[in-house]
Amino acid sequence: MKTRNYLSSMVIAILLCGAALGAQEPAPAASATETVPVTTHSASAQNAYEMGMVQREDRLFVDEGLDFFRQAVKADSQFALAHAALGYFTTDPKEAKQESALAAKYIDNASPDEQVLIRWMNSTKNGETVVAISAMNDLLAKYPNDKRLGNLAGEWLCAYQGAYEHGEAVLTRLLKNDPRYYPATNNLAYCYALSGQPQLAPPLMEQYVAALPNEPNPQDSYGEIMRMLGDYPAALEHYQKALQINPHFNASQVGVASTYALMGDERKARAQYLVAIKGTKERSTQVNYRILYAMTYYRENKPRLAREEFEKVDSEAHSAGLTVQEAEIHRAMALFNPDAASALKDLDEAREDLSDTRKSNLLPGDRDNELALILQARAFIAVNAGKTEAAQATLKLLENMAQTSRSTPVQEAYHSANGAVLFAHGDYAGAIAELQEDPQNPLSLQLQAAAQTKAGQAAEARKTLETLAAISDERVESAFAAPPARLALKRDATRPAQGGAN
Amino acid sequence: MRNRWWIVCVLVLSVASVAFGTDYAIVVNPANSVRAMSLVELAKIFRAKTTIWADGKGITLVLREPNSPATKFILEKVLGGTFDEEKAVLNDPSRKTAVPVVFAESDEEVMRIVGGNAGAIGVIDVYNITGGVKVVKIDDKQPFDPGYVLKGR
Repeated sequence: MKTRNYLSSMVIAILLCGAALGAQEPAPAASATETVPVTTHSASAQNAYEMGMVQREDRLFVDEGLDFFRQAVKADSQFALAHAALGYFTTDPKEAKQESALAAKYIDNASPDEQVLIRWMNSTKNGETVVAISAMNDLLAKYPNDKRLGNLAGEWLCAYQGAYEHGEAVLTRLLKNDPRYYPATNNLAYCYALSGQPQLAPPLMEQYVAALPNEPNPQDSYGEIMRMLGDYPAALEHYQKALQINPHFNASQVGVASTYALMGDERKARAQYLVAIKGTKERSTQVNYRILYAMTYYRENKPRLAREEFEKVDSEAHSAGLTVQEAEIHRAMALFNPDAASALKDLDEAREDLSDTRKSNLLPGDRDNELALILQARAFIAVNAGKTEAAQATLKLLENMAQTSRSTPVQEAYHSANGAVLFAHGDYAGAIAELQEDPQNPLSLQLQAAAQTKAGQAAEARKTLETLAAISDERVESAFAAPPARLALKRDATRPAQGGAN
Repeated sequence: MRNRWWIVCVLVLSVASVAFGTDYAIVVNPANSVRAMSLVELAKIFRAKTTIWADGKGITLVLREPNSPATKFILEKVLGGTFDEEKAVLNDPSRKTAVPVVFAESDEEVMRIVGGNAGAIGVIDVYNITGGVKVVKIDDKQPFDPGYVLKGR
């Protein structure tokens, strides 16, 4: 086995990619002993792995990065770290499971520290969070100057663990050592935006776009941050700047589309989604974009057209073996289905998708998280339709899952569904407490506001509605619950004040 | 860009820290054979009712500063009373020879002490654990397990 480090392969990578980031003054390079080693017998696999990291982590060219990781494992089928990276980054659950398993199979080919990195990547996928944290901290202590490692860790802590304080600490330390390591600037901005400190994100974005004026991702990130903050015109402006820099930066294409969708201009949104769909060759990403495309019909209250589109994309997801997406499609159809009995059938189909024989292609965590969302939606629909027994039976299923699953989404779905059932029984205080355990789910927020109103907590209900109305993301639940909240607040604002002094 | 599905994940997963805060981990020296204990057994160590491990080694309790949020939370959870009621347990002069308590300024210091003392047991934020210590299950559950008793709020 030949062992190299990031430095040598970084040099090769920069030569290969035409120094895409090199338009700027290069950041100081790490010394030969400062990064986790990468072990493979194949020089081309080594180069492809490094290019994968450059594209996926540094430049945020997601599809291109995944392609390079696939090239790496093709060039060396026993390249454990490349299998682990592909399993970690891919958006295809089936590929994630296969690649994680191959990484575990060939782990002995890797050096000891690479093995720790592989354990971290695989453990994050398998829900073994304690093992993952321990591996991550050991590597961070041993390689304090491995910037890519620190950036990956910071991203994982903020994005996948919601451990913002820890993620911010890792990323801040990284930027203190090298203020020009801009992938960390990007992640830190997202971390702030998501941790309730959104005002700290735009200044970092200003730094990011100023430092890399010829890269599309800084403008794309700025657009996304502005969209999260609800400033849609600014979001569009930044996405369009990203596309001016690189018309093939598909993330910005879908960013433009989703921003139009959130603004209520569904016709423009669809046109932009079509461009984005054509612009990616990743099958799972295409299906994800097709789901967003179909959602636009629900957003403009054309349920029949929406259903037709969802059925088409369901067929495509089915033929591609994208089980989680199939389930998500049926969940979306159920949420927007005005007929409760038919909606419950949609959800039965969603559950069938997950219990299909192909379920063995899914990581258990992916399956459980989607199943929990399906059951949560089922409980809400049943409660809204007055089918309390059906809601109670669904809650029991979620309770069984929650007793054995470490997954946060499973836990939240259980508490939320319990809140819905308590609401149905008129226990509004109990419902509020349970729904508050799921504070960023639009369905939970919607019912929480209703429970607070029923409990006579008008001010709290309004705050909850404001939180819900401010959600600007692409989730099905957001499309379902956020617009009515905005409408309710608008109605309140135009209503004449009651009472007052003469 | 952080890919769009990332953001969705964040919005779903970020609730963990918002709603629950961190989990606290009970850690021992890797050479210690103990893998799990009940909350009652842990309370006996805190109260210096249990003073040695099964192999005869003396127990040392390593905590963050007495007024730190972590120690306040742990004392209330493990001993069951309010912090003001339970903090006296740590200051009892007689325990110095039974189960001494060492206060550390950081989780890193807790781990350094536990890693260097075969009889030590400490409490840290789970996000700070390293391979230098071993996490002990409490009531058959480890951090992030449903129903884990030391889940912070």
